[in-house]
Amino acid sequence: MNGKPRIGVYVCHCGTNIAGTVDVEEVVRFAQTIPDVTVARNYSYMCSDPGQALIVDDIEKMGLNRVVVASCSPRMHELTFRKTLNGAGLNPYFLEMANIREQCSWVHEDSIAATEKSKRIIEAAVVKARRLEALDQKEVDVEPATLIIGAGIAGIQAALDIADAGFKVYLVEKSPTVGGHMAQLDKTFPTLDCSACILTPKMVDVANHPNIELMTYSKVEDISGYVGNFDIKVRKKTRYVDVSKCTGCGDCASACRQAGRFANEFDEGMGMRGAIYLPFPQAVPAKYTVDKESCLFLSKGKCGETPKCLEACQPKAINFELEDEIVDFKVGTIIVATGFDVFDATLKPEYAYGVYDNVVTALEFERMVNASGPTGGKVVMLERGKKKKKKKEGEEEEAPKVPESVTFIQCVGSRDKSVGNEYCSRVCCMYTAKLAHLVRDKAPDAEVTVFYMDVRAFGKGFEEFYDRVRREGVRYIRGNPSEIYRKNGKLIVRAEDTLTSTPLEHETDMVVLSVGLCPRTDTRDVIDLLKLSQSSDLFYLEAHPKLRPVDTASDGVYLAGVCQGPKDIPDAVAQAKGAASAAMIPMASGKVKVEAQTSIVDETTCRGCGFCVEVCPYTAIELVEINRMGWHVKAARVNEALCKGCGACAAACLSGSIQQRSFKDLQLLPQIQALGVK
Amino acid sequence: MVDITKLRDIAKEVISRDDVRQVIGYRPGTYGFRARPAFVLEPADADELIFSPACINNLATYIVIEEKLPVPRGQEPDSRKVAVMVKGCDSRAIIQQLEEKAYDRDHVLVLGIPCEGVVDMDKVNARFPNVDKGDIALEGDKFVISFNGTKEEVAKDELLADKCKRCRYPTPLVSDEMLGDEVERFADDDFSDVEVLEKKSRDEKWAYWEEKFSRCARCYACRNACPMCYCEDCVLTRLEPMWMRRSVDISENTAYHIARAYHLAGRCIQCGACEQACPMDIPLMDLNRKFYKDVRELFDYEPGTDAEQPPLLSTFSVDDREDFIL
Amino acid sequence: MAEATKTAEATKTDFEPNIVAFLCNWCSYAGADLAGTSRIQYPPNVRVIRVMCSGRVNPLFIMNALQQGADGVLISGCHPGDCHYMQGNYFARRRFNLMRNFLEYVGIEPERVRMSWVSASEGAKWKGVIEEVVEGIKSVGPMDSFKRRQLNW
Repeated sequence: MNGKPRIGVYVCHCGTNIAGTVDVEEVVRFAQTIPDVTVARNYSYMCSDPGQALIVDDIEKMGLNRVVVASCSPRMHELTFRKTLNGAGLNPYFLEMANIREQCSWVHEDSIAATEKSKRIIEAAVVKARRLEALDQKEVDVEPATLIIGAGIAGIQAALDIADAGFKVYLVEKSPTVGGHMAQLDKTFPTLDCSACILTPKMVDVANHPNIELMTYSKVEDISGYVGNFDIKVRKKTRYVDVSKCTGCGDCASACRQAGRFANEFDEGMGMRGAIYLPFPQAVPAKYTVDKESCLFLSKGKCGETPKCLEACQPKAINFELEDEIVDFKVGTIIVATGFDVFDATLKPEYAYGVYDNVVTALEFERMVNASGPTGGKVVMLERGKKKKKKKEGEEEEAPKVPESVTFIQCVGSRDKSVGNEYCSRVCCMYTAKLAHLVRDKAPDAEVTVFYMDVRAFGKGFEEFYDRVRREGVRYIRGNPSEIYRKNGKLIVRAEDTLTSTPLEHETDMVVLSVGLCPRTDTRDVIDLLKLSQSSDLFYLEAHPKLRPVDTASDGVYLAGVCQGPKDIPDAVAQAKGAASAAMIPMASGKVKVEAQTSIVDETTCRGCGFCVEVCPYTAIELVEINRMGWHVKAARVNEALCKGCGACAAACLSGSIQQRSFKDLQLLPQIQALGVK
Repeated sequence: MVDITKLRDIAKEVISRDDVRQVIGYRPGTYGFRARPAFVLEPADADELIFSPACINNLATYIVIEEKLPVPRGQEPDSRKVAVMVKGCDSRAIIQQLEEKAYDRDHVLVLGIPCEGVVDMDKVNARFPNVDKGDIALEGDKFVISFNGTKEEVAKDELLADKCKRCRYPTPLVSDEMLGDEVERFADDDFSDVEVLEKKSRDEKWAYWEEKFSRCARCYACRNACPMCYCEDCVLTRLEPMWMRRSVDISENTAYHIARAYHLAGRCIQCGACEQACPMDIPLMDLNRKFYKDVRELFDYEPGTDAEQPPLLSTFSVDDREDFIL
Repeated sequence: MAEATKTAEATKTDFEPNIVAFLCNWCSYAGADLAGTSRIQYPPNVRVIRVMCSGRVNPLFIMNALQQGADGVLISGCHPGDCHYMQGNYFARRRFNLMRNFLEYVGIEPERVRMSWVSASEGAKWKGVIEEVVEGIKSVGPMDSFKRRQLNW
């Protein structure tokens, strides 16, 4: 593709999106005057079939060797038009996009200014296009394995799908068991399936699947490489229990001197556990874990004469000498399924969570209504933080009181600018309805009230379920409570019924806060590992909100579940299956295209100073000895498989000897010149 | 001060070694008070070597600008060492060159000259104009200027080069052999000269620099004299891509001087060779020193003091200042 | 004298600056795109050059843009820690800091030379940045000190 540049400029109307503000005819007339522009046209939708055909036709008939498309952002359609060029036999990197929509017509109302700006943008694209070069897009082999971070329902589902398809899966979970938040739920809305009954079989499956290597109580420490060839380093934290010997019998837990002294995370702190514990009976793997902080022996160095667990353990699985293990492996793709945290209700002090015993979060309530939960599934009044009196011989245990009234408050930490969460958590309306229904079920005499802003019953079967719950006698009051306080042993919820504009004070025994879903507090850890972006709600950002909802900006890295944004179980499962199939595409094809806009060194001028070697974050550059007219000198050399095309080396080089393809100095300087003109 | 006899003896001994190709030192110039570089290729050449306060050139430059002519096929390039005499400031150039992998450490044999300061030749020439041939020596706190059979003493401060008044490293930081006793630091750098310029108003600043830059004849002497400017093909004078035109014009000259100074950011070792070489008296060190000051204040970085430290602009600290970022 | 000041003031306010901006592909360019998708209106004075990473921006580009006629230059990248290429924005920050100080030293107003962190989700911030940069440059007037005056050839 040598010889004089013959450039075609195509100005897109994008319906009225561009043409409504920018005088496209005028822009085309201008484009025709730019040197080396062979043809300039405008068309209603360049990305449409006939639009693309215009380009193909001109390439074939007019011998164009460069194409400038002035339309939307290259982030939108650069790939589309590269394929168009490729289809017409032109190297796809002879395309330059001029973004006159997102960064011009959509942001400037003034037609004259927008038209002038479009001209400048297009001229800058043309002068760059003039200097574009053909690039060779290389392919590399893909390691047929996936790393999945997080083993909640999304991670589990993605793991099973990929493993069933015959690829290797490394499933890494931070906590001692798989299952995530779904394992804590009692029933699921709106069908009232028992959460555990549908989840635990899948939990067992991931543990037993021959293609899945499950790593619980583990943390991904380092990720390097690129799509097809990621190098992963995982720290398997020691449980101080030899998992190959542990039978899960539980003798150790009952023997532990600290038994029942610590809040059990799984029960949201409502149940108790010892220093050695199994989070819950169906935990997978069913292996006990010693909590380093709460274990007397590990934290204080002494636990009686000998730790009782050691004596109790028949298979001799407990070993305090065990250390963390570091595992390295390679994968081709990565799925992030790290889930969420529930909103910290103490951030809404007006609801007095943590002040009054019977103001609870929905997740705590979920544990309460669960048959294997801390109250054995009974809805009862709580006396938190109070030491249980020792039972005297023959004394009947005082039965806990059943609340006469239970009140739910929706949108706690959702749709609330005051706590920085503008988004709707999408599950609270329905889980509130579900929990309200369960109260009707378990404490039929209790009066149930729900304070809400709006009820969003958008999903399949949601509206019907909401109707059913209301018919069951659950009272819905539209209004966001402003305060909860205590009077005469009762909780008073102060609110305004916004439908009737009546202020009211609602007396109740128990308040359940329908807390929203939040990005995890350790969100940054994964960002540091993978350089994911966050959307304004601080959940991970997908590559495109509509068309690439499971992809990320990093090739080969996909999102599944709530880590991308609040969603319910079926949506999380659907996204997990989507992420699984997305991850399997490069693995099934076995090849993946690597960055073509890599750096290149002019060895005749390179000083061999190594500045570029130093700045390269991918160690893609090394100094090698070359022969320059008989002299043995050092020069930089780029490993194109490792280079990701950031161009930091090019800015560090003093002699201009290392350049990033498609972003070379001789391509950018004319752009600067074109934009400098008034 | 350095004993000249000892200096010559050592040079003879060094050039006699099989693994040394040449010794670069100083010898008297042909006119006025100047000394000039001497390239000693055989022992006899060493007899003309000197060291005096007139030895202002930074000889480290010659290590890197030597033209590498094509080596005939079947032959190997001469890989013998280059021995070079360096003052304190010059030695920092060697350290910086090593940091930038310009050559291997064993390529050079460094003969260190502890230095009590050199003259500013412009000041000498202004005070003693039209002298055919003269010598300068330093005795205590006085320069002794001798010419035409006369001797004159001038207070050291009056003729001392500005860079020496701020010198923090009078004794070379790297050497294989030291040609004299260590000289204790007799000055320090408070950057008051830079601050004076920093305090000017924006209009005064540009007026000041516009006048300086407009003098530039684009002879590139500053670049050629600089021990850190040794690219095979200077990017600032390349035709493609063209960073600036080569015409003499305030716009192009300004671009050249900004770019030249920036290329030395974190690399300039304050030897003053550029300013010394400038025929148009452009205060190039004022430009270099702004970067030098900022680099030290913002990043606690002093170029040419440690060959192992990473190049300033190829590294970062997460805590680098960013109060200027929107 | 009063007249002259008046005219100078008038040109300063009437003057529409021309700003060349270098945006990294992953954060700031995406953020500017988001401003577009959200139809957030901002002054049309900024013209964008897309680079993959702010680390690609050679500070000499700033000098070059000012020489070629830009009244100001903006470099925008990912927030610290968010760089798609892990570190590029840190290099950019360090290089930029030195260059901006230096330009000020030779008489180029720092208002002309700006840097920002704009993430892919900060469409609204992008607008704010543009407004602040435009306003800053308007306050110092057209770039004339070393702008190239020769005819293009």
